[in-house]
Amino acid sequence: MAAIFQYEYMQKAFIVGILLSVIIACLGTVVVHKRLSLIGSALSHSSLAGVAVGLLFGFSPILGAVGACLIASFFIEGIRKKLPAFSELAVAITLSIGIGLAGVLSGFVKNASSFNSFLFGSIVAISSFELYLAVGLSAAVLLIFLLMYKELFYVSFDEQAAALSGVPVRLINFIFTVLTAVTVSVASRTVGALVISSLLVVPVAAAMQVARSYKTTILWAILFAFLSTVIGLFISFYVGLKPGGTISLLSAGFFFLAVAMKMTSGKIVALRQKGALQ
Amino acid sequence: MPEIEDAVLVDGLTFGYSDKLFLKDVSFHVGKGDFAAIIGDNGSGKSTMVKLLLGLLSPVAGTIRIMGNEVKQIRDFSKIGYVPQNSGDSVARFPASAEEIVLSSLYRQIGPFRFAGKKHREITRKALELTGLSEYAKTMPSGMSGGQRQRLMLARVLACGPELLVLDEPTVGIDSDAVDQLLSILHEINISEKVTILMVTHDLAKIAAYTNRVLCLSEKHFSEEDLPTGTVVHIHPLTHDHQYEHVHCASCPKPHITEDCAACKHQRDGGK
Repeated sequence: MAAIFQYEYMQKAFIVGILLSVIIACLGTVVVHKRLSLIGSALSHSSLAGVAVGLLFGFSPILGAVGACLIASFFIEGIRKKLPAFSELAVAITLSIGIGLAGVLSGFVKNASSFNSFLFGSIVAISSFELYLAVGLSAAVLLIFLLMYKELFYVSFDEQAAALSGVPVRLINFIFTVLTAVTVSVASRTVGALVISSLLVVPVAAAMQVARSYKTTILWAILFAFLSTVIGLFISFYVGLKPGGTISLLSAGFFFLAVAMKMTSGKIVALRQKGALQ
Repeated sequence: MPEIEDAVLVDGLTFGYSDKLFLKDVSFHVGKGDFAAIIGDNGSGKSTMVKLLLGLLSPVAGTIRIMGNEVKQIRDFSKIGYVPQNSGDSVARFPASAEEIVLSSLYRQIGPFRFAGKKHREITRKALELTGLSEYAKTMPSGMSGGQRQRLMLARVLACGPELLVLDEPTVGIDSDAVDQLLSILHEINISEKVTILMVTHDLAKIAAYTNRVLCLSEKHFSEEDLPTGTVVHIHPLTHDHQYEHVHCASCPKPHITEDCAACKHQRDGGK
């Protein structure tokens, strides 16, 4: 066995990292196609406000993060419903409130290091409770995502047409909002609040460069998120870098690689067509 | 129970807000099997009319009946196919194959929280074939032309087996050949699948040959010379006293003179 896997904390890091990368990529595909790419940032920053409240009043910061994320996501959904043309504005407003609250409340937190661990995560310091939480959450998210696959596709594609076809749009949006909020909260403890937003969007953006269908977009996004996490953990262990940041940078690297692959394949097709014409 | 003659029956329809009315006392009907068009100036209320027909807006006064049922009572819209304005453009960047996009429209047939089966894939294949997109089943909309994307949106609603097809400006933003191809497909569907079609359009010249009924919704009336050959019902959206009906004969682009072709039938009956 490689030296890295001899450490229990690294085994936990790999299990949690891989599981989260899979479910974040699944949720991210819907988030991006609903044109709510910034929702990850808004929720993760709001979760920080919840963490601060938890640390201030002496209850679980993860619970605080889940509560704050839920409030923030229902706030976004509420504005989206009332002002459908301004959904991006709703995300930006929530993001501002989240950052503002987190900034103000963090000033009152005595143990700054415990608050900071939520900023960039502490994937190499996962407790057994957090491991079980991540496993349970991943199983639940994957199962619900598979069951609602058709519904989520339709709602992302055209919410109005979905409603006319009998899709329970409000229920689907509600379940999806809760899933995203809970996932962001749990992931903020491990990969970090500032990294979760990029993991929610960048692997999907990379997948969209190479995929040829909705299904393959999800599969590519999972692959990119998985590779970013696994390679990121290896690099951080052997080179001594911060895991959250390394994972985030690697996912951006995969995005540029996917763009390069697309451009190259486009040029090859163009050259072939030119050759065929001659 | 007597057979319902009208696919759409609008009676005394008024819509607007306290400070502004958009439609006032508008009445018209579209018979079963008709290929009807709503034409009119920008802002005359064409798209508003479509939204009212689909129950997406509620009228201030008047009634709308679709296939004999009052719109506000309809819960199942699966027999009414709707292709919204600019739908081809809106789908352009969605990363799904044509097959996946059409398959998603079969929600009612597949059922909630279930997966599509062989039967649903066969319906999808037929809808793509009917719209001339068989070879694009695995292609994403970004790899299609504007006309092909518009036909893809048509395939989505056709897959559900609609009795009434409502299209909001489907010819906008596509080239002349693509418009001809789309209208030709709609004409075939109107005849072979016996689907009633109601289309909002600006394209008077193009629709002339295909429709058997044209509803003109405009503040300034079109002169008779400007109007296409077909049944024309002028409806003033605000001053109902200008409302009148004028009948023309339709000229079918493919004069096959069959019982099923609404345009031919209309021509044969002398425009009555």
